[in-house]
Amino acid sequence: MLQALADGILSGSIIALGAIGLTLTMGILRFANFAHAELVTWGAYMALAVLAVTGTFMGPIAPLSFGIPLILAIVVAAALTSLLALAIDWLVYRPLRRQTNHLTLVFGSFGISLLVRMVILLIFGGAAQYYSTALQIAIPVAPGLRIMPDQLFTLAVTVVIVVALHFFLQKTRLGLAMRALAENPELARVNGIDTRAVVRWTWVIGASLAAVAGVLYGLTIQLRPEIGFHLILPLFAAVILGGVGNVFGAVIGGLVIGLAESLAVLVVPSGYKMAVPFLILLAVLYLRPTGIFAGTVGGVK
Amino acid sequence: MRHLLATGAVGAVLLLGSAGTASAQSCATSVGAVLSITGSMAAIGSAIGDAGKLAVDHFNEAGGVNDCTVRYILRDDQGSPNVGVDAAKTLVEIEKVPVLLGAIQSGVSMPILSSVTVPAKVTQISCCSSAPSFTALSAEGGTQGYWFRTLPTDRPQAAVLASIAAERGYKKIAIIHVNSDYGNSLAGSFKKDVEKLGATVTSVTAYNQEQASYRAEVNAALQGEPEALFLVAFPADGATVTREWISFGGPQKFIFSNALRADEFVNSVGAQYLTEAFGIDNAQVEGESVDAFNKSWEATFGAAPNGPGLHTMYDAAAVALLAMEQAGKADGTAIRDNIRKVTGGEGEPVYPGAEGFKKAKQLIAEGKPIRYVGATGPLEFDENGDVTGPYLIWGVKDGALVTLDKWDNARVGGALAAVEN
Repeated sequence: MLQALADGILSGSIIALGAIGLTLTMGILRFANFAHAELVTWGAYMALAVLAVTGTFMGPIAPLSFGIPLILAIVVAAALTSLLALAIDWLVYRPLRRQTNHLTLVFGSFGISLLVRMVILLIFGGAAQYYSTALQIAIPVAPGLRIMPDQLFTLAVTVVIVVALHFFLQKTRLGLAMRALAENPELARVNGIDTRAVVRWTWVIGASLAAVAGVLYGLTIQLRPEIGFHLILPLFAAVILGGVGNVFGAVIGGLVIGLAESLAVLVVPSGYKMAVPFLILLAVLYLRPTGIFAGTVGGVK
Repeated sequence: MRHLLATGAVGAVLLLGSAGTASAQSCATSVGAVLSITGSMAAIGSAIGDAGKLAVDHFNEAGGVNDCTVRYILRDDQGSPNVGVDAAKTLVEIEKVPVLLGAIQSGVSMPILSSVTVPAKVTQISCCSSAPSFTALSAEGGTQGYWFRTLPTDRPQAAVLASIAAERGYKKIAIIHVNSDYGNSLAGSFKKDVEKLGATVTSVTAYNQEQASYRAEVNAALQGEPEALFLVAFPADGATVTREWISFGGPQKFIFSNALRADEFVNSVGAQYLTEAFGIDNAQVEGESVDAFNKSWEATFGAAPNGPGLHTMYDAAAVALLAMEQAGKADGTAIRDNIRKVTGGEGEPVYPGAEGFKKAKQLIAEGKPIRYVGATGPLEFDENGDVTGPYLIWGVKDGALVTLDKWDNARVGGALAAVEN
C-alpha cells in the first residue's frame, strides 16, 4: 500500500512535468498538440546522444546512478528540444495557424508526432536503451517501502520546476504576457505584447520541460522510441483533469493519474490498470466539465 | 512457353542481387511476412525478418520458385494484434500472397489466422508462436489445415522448467506473465506443473505490454515473499520488469521463458544480476543441415545466428517455397497440401542454402520425392501443423548467454509424463 502510494507519486511526477508543457501550449497556442509527447521522447534521446559524446567522466554522484554528464545532458537536451519545437512551429504550425480551422493544426501535430518518432527510430533503433546499465537497488526507507535515490531526484526536480514556473508566471513580465495571451489574445495584442515572442517562449518552456520529463523517464525506466506514444494518453488525461492551461492543475492531474494506475493494481487485475485513470477522468469531467481547476493561467474557450 | 521460361530466368538473374527490383516483364511470386520490427519484440524482430529474407534470397539464387522470382514482402505488426491483422489483410488482399509467414507473438498470429488467412485460404506458417491454443483450434478444425509452425508448442516448456525449478528446490514461486495467449497459457501450465511437483505459486500477475513501468505489477508479485520469479515476457518489457524486481529487492532467482533469450535482454538488465537465472529455448539440433544454415548466415551477416526465431523463420520460408515448387503453383491451398510432401517421409534429404534448393528443384523437376532437413533439423508436421523438438536450458555466465543443458525429446517426454499423471 505504502509502496504503491510512493510509486504513484513518483510516476505521477514525470507525467506532471510533461503535462505542464502540454497545458501551457494548449492554453496559450489554443490547440491540442499531439506532438508534445514526441518532444518528451526527443529530449530523452538527445540526452542519450550527449552522453555518448561526453562519456561518463567523473563517475556517478553517490547515491545517484549518474553524475555531472547527465545533468549537463539535461540542459543540452532541453536546448535541442526547444530548437526542434521552434523549428516545427516555424515550418508547420505557423503556416497552419493562419487558417482558422484548429482541427488542421491538430492533424498537423499527429503527422509531426509520427515523423519525429520515425526519425528517432531511424537514428537510434528500436531496442530499449539506458543512460547507465548499472542497476540501482532501492533503499528500504520504511517497512514495506523501498525507494531508489534516482526517484527522489526526479521528485525533487519536479518540485523545483513547478515552484520556479509558478513564480515565473506570477512575477515576471514574460509570465504576465503569457497569461495575458492565454486569457485574451486580442486584448494582449492591443496592449502591445509581442505575441510572436510569447509564442516562441511558450514553445521553449514547454519543450524544455518535456525534455526534462523525458530524461527523468529514461533515467528511472528506459529509453524507447515509443515513450511519447505511450505517454500521450496519460499526459492529455492529466491536462484535462487539471483544467486546460492550469499549471498547478496539470501537476495535480499528473499525480492523480500516476496514483490511480499504481493503486489500481491493488483492487483490479493488473491487466485492467490502464482503464482506471480514465474512469476517474470521466467521473471528474461529469462533475466538473472544465477540470478540477478551471484555467487560471488561461483556458481554451 | 519457352518465351515465358526465358523471361522468368532473365527476371531471376536480374534479381540475384536484390529482391524487390522486379523488372516489368519478369514473373514474380510473393511471400508475405508479418513480424514485429518495432514494439516490444523489436529486439529480435528484424533479425527474424532477415532470416526469412535469407531463405527467399537463397531460393532466388537457386532460380526462383516455378521459374518465378520470389518477392519477400515484410510488414511490421508493431507487436499489436490490430496492426498485425491490417498488415496481413494488405498482404493477402492487395499483394495476393499465397502464403503468410508470421507472426511472432501468438496473440498476433491468432487473430490473423482466424480473420485473415483461413477465410482467404492462405497458408500461414509461424516461426515463433508457441501457444497451445493453436493446437486446440486446429484439432477442432478451426484452421482448416492452413496453420503450420516450425517451432514446438510451449506445453513441454512449462513441464521442463517446472522440473528444473523442483530440482533447484524452489518452493515459493511468483509468476509475472505478459497478458497474451502465449503468456497466459505458459504461465497457466507452469503453475499447474510446479504445484504438481510440490511447490507453491505465491501469485500470478499479468502485465500489459509496452507500459512505462511495471512497478505496480512487480510490487504485487513480491507479496507473499517468493523465493524465485518465473517471468514470461518479451525482451524490452521483460528487462523493465526484471530491473524493477531487482531494484525492489526481489530475490535474484529467475526462471525465464524462451523469448527472453536475447543479448539485449541480458545487457539491459545487467549480467551480474542474472548469474542464478535459467531459461528455456528450443534447442538447435546439431547436424549438417544446421551447419549449412549457420554458415550461410555468418557469410551474409558477419555474425553467428544467435537469437530466437532465426532458424525457425528460415525453415518457415523454406518449407513454404519448397511446397510451392512441389505444387507447381503458388496457391494457398496447394501450398497447404504440399508442405508435408516436402518435409516428412522418405524422400532425398535437402539442406538449407542456395545449393540445397537447387538440388531440391532438380529432384522435384525429375519427379523424385524430397525431404527438407532444415535449419532446425528434420521437420515433421503433425495433423495440427505442430512440430516436436528438443530444448536447451540457457543461463548467463561471464556476461554472456550460455547453454547450461540440453534436453532431447526423450527427456522432455519424461518431464511431461511426470507432471501429467
